[in-house]
Amino acid sequence: MKLAEIQARFHALATGDSVGAPPAAGLLRGGPGLGPDERAAVYAGMYDARLADVLAADFPRLAAMLGHERMHGLAEAYARAHPSDDPDIGRFGRHLASWLREHSAPDRPDLADLAELEWARSEVLVEADATPASRADLAALGAEGFAAASLRFVPALRLVRVEHDAAAVWRALEAGGPAPPPARRAASIAVWRNGFDVVHAELPAAEAAAFLAARRGSPLGDVLAALEGPGAAEAGFAMLASWLDEGWVEGVSPAGPRR
Amino acid sequence: MTGTRGRRIATREPAGLAPRTRPVNPIRPSLGHGVGLRAPHYARWLETPPRVGFVEAVSENFFAPGGRPMAVLERVRRDVPVALHGVSLSIGSTDPLSETYLDRLASLARQVDPAIVSDHLCWGSHGGRYVHDLWPMPFTEESLAHVVARVGRVQERLGRRILLENVSSYAEFTLSTIPEWEFLSEVAARSGCGILLDVNNVYVSARNHGFDAHAYLAAIPPERVGQIHLAGFSDRGTHLLDTHDAPVASDVWDLYREAIARLGPVPTLVEWDDHIPTLDRLLEESARAAEAEREVLGSAPVPAARPGKVHTA
Repeated sequence: MKLAEIQARFHALATGDSVGAPPAAGLLRGGPGLGPDERAAVYAGMYDARLADVLAADFPRLAAMLGHERMHGLAEAYARAHPSDDPDIGRFGRHLASWLREHSAPDRPDLADLAELEWARSEVLVEADATPASRADLAALGAEGFAAASLRFVPALRLVRVEHDAAAVWRALEAGGPAPPPARRAASIAVWRNGFDVVHAELPAAEAAAFLAARRGSPLGDVLAALEGPGAAEAGFAMLASWLDEGWVEGVSPAGPRR
Repeated sequence: MTGTRGRRIATREPAGLAPRTRPVNPIRPSLGHGVGLRAPHYARWLETPPRVGFVEAVSENFFAPGGRPMAVLERVRRDVPVALHGVSLSIGSTDPLSETYLDRLASLARQVDPAIVSDHLCWGSHGGRYVHDLWPMPFTEESLAHVVARVGRVQERLGRRILLENVSSYAEFTLSTIPEWEFLSEVAARSGCGILLDVNNVYVSARNHGFDAHAYLAAIPPERVGQIHLAGFSDRGTHLLDTHDAPVASDVWDLYREAIARLGPVPTLVEWDDHIPTLDRLLEESARAAEAEREVLGSAPVPAARPGKVHTA
């Protein structure tokens, strides 16, 4: 038997893909304390446990809400649908939120939203560092250059769109309490890094739309013009100031984004 | 039981398998005794870093470009030599080596300038799927040629020598024909890589498979050993599990002393990756390794861990 076939057979045994596969006896030796099947089972158990552990670490609030047994079962099902394809185990959970949208739990339809929020936090935690721009950089454009200028945002910033109140669930679990019942409420949540710490906050709908437009490279004049209602101009400038103060903006480009 | 299952194999270097450029970095840099760089200790490393011989970082934990982990590593490496220890190279897999992985590792190595780059003599991927575990190799001539060729490619890609570590195992393949210690030694001899000798793994595997741990140590070529790992295991009754969640066992300390008596001073790290204790407790365990080395070799070892000592260099 060639190396590739040996590895294929062992992989099938140790990852639970062994339905119809030859037994371990022809592949593995028995020895002190354990027979071939039991030895394969040691690896199978570690495979399941390791992937469940890494999901629990990257989705700590989800794990707290579901409890060990249910989280473990979820991890096993997810691993079957999305086996890890990246040598970095930290990337294993990147499909969990979309998978949960396709496999919604009847009692907790908000699991996917909570996972989406937690994955964004996990990514932002180790995103590339950047030196943020300041209000002075924006002021330096002058009145004439402002409208045509655009913003470039720091890498450690995400905008998460949820259909349930995932932020309230996250907050309750963070405080060590039980998760509130799922509540359907669409929201946009910004996730960013303050120093080394990850923070998130819900954005008003108008600010979320403005942020998405600015992130696409729209000129600031267009971004602010899209804001409506009394005091829109003042609110727009306050919004830009808050983006700068929170360290979201890495650079200000005088005329259109850098490509 | 001693290692008589497989036939002995001659040390040779077949044409076409050796790397074109021999790595020049030393197999065994003089580092003393170190500890692992683990997340629960990040604040301490930033605020009052202890004095240690070296720090070992799990390579993959620092593939991400920024945030606290990279800031800590950058801070630590200013004062302390760093060893990069990978877990996902999958050197023994029949999958192609991951170019993405090698790019990330090479980039990290350029940034960190590590004293040692290591991974495991194992495989952990198949059909493009990563299992994030250290699965044992079938010890055959085919495996040997396969691993040697891949080590050569990795060393060329990184422009440096790597060390490969023996793993704890819970299964042996019926088709294996070469004792593990001979396989490991031969990989090192043919590829030019060094050996990261995990003494705990030798002990765990010896108990799990019934071979003689002392014979294993005696078969390892001293000149190829660049680093030693120690760790704690869990006794599951039917087998020992390499859990890295406990102090080093007394039998493993005995084996370590035996190894040091044969090898001389070797950079040694105590791994503790689950139920991670305080950094001071970890430093105590590392200091114990330094003390064992001093007992065996009869002279003051090179820089050892000093619990609670603020580094002022």
